[in-house]
Amino acid sequence: MKPGEAKLPHLFQPARLGRFATRNRIKYGACCVSNYNTRDGFITERELARMRVIARTGCGIITNQGAYPDPLGEGKAYFRQVAIFDDKFLPQFERIAQDIKANGAVAIQQILHAGRYGGIDLGYCIQPSDVPQTLPHFRPPKVMTREEIRDCIRQHAQAADRAIRAGFDGTEITSFMGYLLANFNSGFTNQRSDEYGGSIANRGRFMRELIDGIKQATPDHPLIVRLNGAELMDKWGGNTEDECFELMRQAVDVGVDMISVTVGWQEAPESSIGRDIPPGYWNYLAERAKKMFPDTLITFGNRLPDPRMADDCLRDGMFDFWEVCRPLLADPELIHKAAEDRLDEARRCIGSLNCLSRLFRDLPYTCTMNPALGHEVEPEYHVTPAAVKKKIMVIGAGPAGMECAITAARRGHEVTVFDKSERIGGNLHAFATNDLARPDDLLSVVSHYEVMAKKLGIQVRLNTEVHARFMRSVLHQYDVCVVAAGARVDRQRYAHIEGAERMLDALDVAHGRVKPTGTKIVVVGGGKVGLTLAESLRKHQGAEVTVVEAEKRIAGDVKPSFKWRHASWVEELGIPCRTSSRLVKVDEQGATVVDGKGERHFLPADSVILAAEMAPAHALLGEFEWMVDELHGVGDALVPRGLEQAIQDGFRLGVRL
Amino acid sequence: MLPSPQAWQAAAARRPDLFDPLDPGARVALVARSAPADMLVWEVGGDGVRTLVHPFPGYSGSGADIALAADDEALAAIAAGHDDTMFETLRAGIRSGHIVCYILRRRCHLEERGFEELLTELGFAFMGACR
Repeated sequence: MKPGEAKLPHLFQPARLGRFATRNRIKYGACCVSNYNTRDGFITERELARMRVIARTGCGIITNQGAYPDPLGEGKAYFRQVAIFDDKFLPQFERIAQDIKANGAVAIQQILHAGRYGGIDLGYCIQPSDVPQTLPHFRPPKVMTREEIRDCIRQHAQAADRAIRAGFDGTEITSFMGYLLANFNSGFTNQRSDEYGGSIANRGRFMRELIDGIKQATPDHPLIVRLNGAELMDKWGGNTEDECFELMRQAVDVGVDMISVTVGWQEAPESSIGRDIPPGYWNYLAERAKKMFPDTLITFGNRLPDPRMADDCLRDGMFDFWEVCRPLLADPELIHKAAEDRLDEARRCIGSLNCLSRLFRDLPYTCTMNPALGHEVEPEYHVTPAAVKKKIMVIGAGPAGMECAITAARRGHEVTVFDKSERIGGNLHAFATNDLARPDDLLSVVSHYEVMAKKLGIQVRLNTEVHARFMRSVLHQYDVCVVAAGARVDRQRYAHIEGAERMLDALDVAHGRVKPTGTKIVVVGGGKVGLTLAESLRKHQGAEVTVVEAEKRIAGDVKPSFKWRHASWVEELGIPCRTSSRLVKVDEQGATVVDGKGERHFLPADSVILAAEMAPAHALLGEFEWMVDELHGVGDALVPRGLEQAIQDGFRLGVRL
Repeated sequence: MLPSPQAWQAAAARRPDLFDPLDPGARVALVARSAPADMLVWEVGGDGVRTLVHPFPGYSGSGADIALAADDEALAAIAAGHDDTMFETLRAGIRSGHIVCYILRRRCHLEERGFEELLTELGFAFMGACR
């Protein structure tokens, strides 16, 4: 037994799914879809390479991403979703099933008919009833006839049979996030008056017939159903939690082998899996399912990213399998690290939802924390031993610099990181400490870098500013210099404004290097830095904060998945945001701005903080050009963007140095 | 009960920034979710926005681009509110789940018709997928 397995005995305990033995109690969840495949549903080499990585994650059960079961594509939710409506797709499914089983896991194929969210290539989606969309991404509804319902069930059964013929051990159907099964189950979308609508028994009829149809087609193979423990749609007439559990009972009664308890719909008006939801928040739903259905396997993992927490839940009998997907996107080695007692080396999923957000732009999913995700098929993204071992100096211990340093060190280079501040993390540390969502998530990135620097023997020289004089003192000691000095607030743009020198620098405030005086504060700049600071000052210090933004809207540089969060916080905290407003003067009484109509407004303030445009700190690139063999810039030091780009840039440079 | 057409018209009149960008023919409907007999419609014409009351023929037959289906609590809040804060009331109702904002056209269509400002004002960012 490996050391970590002894520490997490419940997680690594062998179990069973039907007649199949599992080596542990970890199920890889289908994790939405990757969008790596062809427009007509064929699995690509990119996907196969990705799935080979997943096959080696060490999970006891691995679920392949959802495939749509109908030839029209009414069930197709995503631009490049895989299909399973015909035997022509079998060869690639066979390869995935083989890879999963060759690596010792039970192979499950998910069948995903997206219902309300489907028909992406069509002008409509199919639903039980004519309930319009609440998100403009989706298609207008077309009501299913009884005959279409029967066809749909038959297509699912045929798809399940096809998956088994491809070599999968079992199948899964899903109502997660508001797909077709959820549309029938929910009172929000099912307003039929026939035998498929009305009472909860009738609403569940489609699910029962679906389970029965698949069980008849694949009688010797387990069937898993993903069902909401909470839809978060009840205010709109959706199911209450009690109704959700009644539907689970119906699934149990018709012999489903495992229930995967999930939370939320895509259009639900509240968070379910974002960074603002604390880990463990939804555990009670799984616990309730296990209590109600002690003889049915329950799997769960929504917002439960930590193997240690999962082990505790398994010990306490809350569920039978830990279902994990996004944490394995962030770190495919997570289970092995847990088994080897190396969890301190794990890269945590920070819940930025970059993965899912990209799907709604019809883009392949990527991961903020794992730059190699989706590029497994490309040798250029592999961390391979360097042909020539070099001495590398990295200037800046923020995410771009540390990512580059760690990747280069993994390839055998000798790396030294310099930073003028007293700690690793750069501006991320300052941002995290002011973050209202989950500072721990962002700070975990910093601790990961600290741990890895130590383990890889990277020298980190803090409180050390690198400038031309310093460079002359280390001349010829390094083969490579990487400038990863980040970005700074661009004061130059505001230099012409009367009283500009009175403004505090947002990064100085965020780092705690200066403290704003008084209780009335104006923050100039309504992007992620300005908003985060404004929210923190309001919430933690009770300051009366006003945000001034030159653009028409705030949060312009915030990821789509988190824009709504800032917009919501500023309203909840009572932070007035003056958009389309330009700063024209700062004095000891406050700030003067001109709005979109050209009207001047005076905003009384004890302190004015400048959090507007960032400028790259790339001056060193010019200064060092003739002082070192190889000179590179990376991350915000080239173009100020954000955490994801810093990590991606750092990694991409690290793998080719 | 739906608000009076006069109050609904006054609320629109206060926000030319939201309605001026809309193409003629753009329509926003308000219905009572529990008993949608009539609908109150903001309709953009060549000479600005006007308020109409029509029997509610169902969402797909309403001809609206967006339909706000408000429960009794939300309708009471709308009736009690002032026309200068109507959009704050609507936004709060959508966020709390008391109003369902049905989007009856695709995003590209809404953008072409000039709905960006109005959707933003209704808190559309709050309704983005994947949370």
